Amino acid sequence: MNEEYDAIVLGTGLKECILSGMLSVSGKKVLHIDRNKYYGGESASITPLEELFQRYGLEAPGERFGRGRDWNVDLIPKFLMANGQLVKLLIHTGVTRYLEFKSIEGSYVYKGGKIAKVPVDQKEALASDLMGMFEKRRFRNFLIYVQDFREDDPKTWKDFDPTKSNMQGLYDKFGLDKNTQDFTGHALALFRDDEYLNEPAVNTIRRIKLYSDSLARYGKSPYLYPMYGLGELPQGFARLSAIYGGTYMLDKPIDEIVLGEGGKVVGVRSGDEIAKCKQVYCDPSYVTDKVRKRGKVIRCICILDHPIASTKDALSTQIIIPQKQVGRKSDIYVSLVSSTHQVASKGWFVGMVSTTVETENPEIEIKPGLDLLEPIAQKFVTISDYLEPIDDGADSQIFISESYDATTHFETTCLDVLNIFKRGTGETFDFSKIKHELGDEEQ
Amino acid sequence: MATVRIPRQKVILCGDYGVGKSSLFRRFTNNTFVSESDRKSTLGLDHIDREYKVGDKQIKLQLWDTGGMERVASVTSSYYKFAEGAILVFALDNAASFHSLSQHLLDIVTYAENAKIFICGNKSDLEGREPEVSDEEVEAFCEQCHTLISATYKTSCKIGEGIDEMFQDISRQLVQANRSKMELHALEQKSFQIDTASEPEINEEGTSCSC
Repeated sequence: MNEEYDAIVLGTGLKECILSGMLSVSGKKVLHIDRNKYYGGESASITPLEELFQRYGLEAPGERFGRGRDWNVDLIPKFLMANGQLVKLLIHTGVTRYLEFKSIEGSYVYKGGKIAKVPVDQKEALASDLMGMFEKRRFRNFLIYVQDFREDDPKTWKDFDPTKSNMQGLYDKFGLDKNTQDFTGHALALFRDDEYLNEPAVNTIRRIKLYSDSLARYGKSPYLYPMYGLGELPQGFARLSAIYGGTYMLDKPIDEIVLGEGGKVVGVRSGDEIAKCKQVYCDPSYVTDKVRKRGKVIRCICILDHPIASTKDALSTQIIIPQKQVGRKSDIYVSLVSSTHQVASKGWFVGMVSTTVETENPEIEIKPGLDLLEPIAQKFVTISDYLEPIDDGADSQIFISESYDATTHFETTCLDVLNIFKRGTGETFDFSKIKHELGDEEQ
Repeated sequence: MATVRIPRQKVILCGDYGVGKSSLFRRFTNNTFVSESDRKSTLGLDHIDREYKVGDKQIKLQLWDTGGMERVASVTSSYYKFAEGAILVFALDNAASFHSLSQHLLDIVTYAENAKIFICGNKSDLEGREPEVSDEEVEAFCEQCHTLISATYKTSCKIGEGIDEMFQDISRQLVQANRSKMELHALEQKSFQIDTASEPEINEEGTSCSC
């Protein structure tokens, strides 16, 4: 440990592992430390099931849920958009070779106490039970507009400047009602609140395109999920980092981040060992004095012995409950995975309900989500602070990631990672840098 | 199923730091040997495919190296996932590396429960020195593990002895083990790897979408 490094990364959560991999690949000498005995931090998938019960201070379940080792339960469940940032990162770093995926079978949206398939093409728009007859046609025209839209070809903009006018303007142009705006903004464009309405429409168009391009990639739904759980993702990036020379240490408590002149980081201390470095990258838990709370997230992991009703018995599902449907300011996310992904024992399902906390009683807030999952065999509720760094790290050279938000996909996660990489290295990550080098050895 | 794809089998190297896993990997890759003094560590090595012929069947062994993670931390559990075979490597001139095999074996059984397990005693080129691990000890270890160990080998990466024979034999054993398993596998909907191909990967064997 008593060496000098370009960067020391603390915590092996997904964001830190991606950063570690990116830094190693860029030729930096990296030391990557975790205080836990295992890889993944909060992004780990917990196995065996007994371990999950223990984490929540519950008695071991015995034989009830089958073999404990068959379970890999995510603490922070999310899906990958098939055409999204994380998949791009996986492909460009070659980490995809360590993983296998399955498509999520269904993507649904909540309306009036029931759920309906998220319509994304013209045919589905017309068949959807989300809208009345006339609204369907207006929505169809809107989808055609989005489909034909080319950012570099103003002719396809049809007398509407999406870089200047806001999204509300575009909805109004097509005469879409509040209800249609709701599922378009939240279940297709995946916005967490309604601020997007006042932002340039092009952002929303891009996101709807991401959704439909992702859907086109593997069918069924735009989402992917790795076999054996999300914990495989940080491990894949950790391996990438190691392959490129990164050094790994687990089970190593960090006692101090040592600062030098001008509050700039010079090293990291564990016991009486000090590793010197020019930069530190870490999650909020390693620097409690350099982060502030920006809210709370509630997540409820549920064990079920059945798929979700009205999803055609899908073995994996995502359901979005738009804020307005349940009189809230932020959406509620519901997801389901099962033994088909090797994350549960045969015949069992892992459901999750999450949202940004708005009241003093968060468990009541997620009730609409839990109702969709009933009957629930076992619940595990976590309420955690959403932390963000107090500065951009330019002075201290300590770059801190934000906590994981309530969304059930990785788009915000990747944005944070790319942003930190830019703050730390001053450059935008060059996706083309590694792809071929790694491919070479396979010839 | 009428696919003619050559089955690919993931085989992982396990064992203590410094027993010669990367040397085996290098021999497998391009049949070279790098002496200790010019060796940095397991940098830049990931995994590599090589085809073997067993009777009239082709098989692709995909050998994986640890990436040097075991130096100070532990190897990630995902390293073991999807492995069809695991080679437990120890050094014949290092008794400690033999004694820690049981720990590595436990990891394999936990994270890759379907893998066939092989033992490889490396550094058989002792030049007159007595090995620290005797054949009897290896045999006794296998006996303790009941039927877990499929075969044992002795190799020398330095002089290139026993290596090709080992991989040849492992291929044979995997082909045998897989005859029945592959048919079972075909029934289940397969997962897939994502790649750069712009065309979506279609899973012919998967159930088509009925909605």
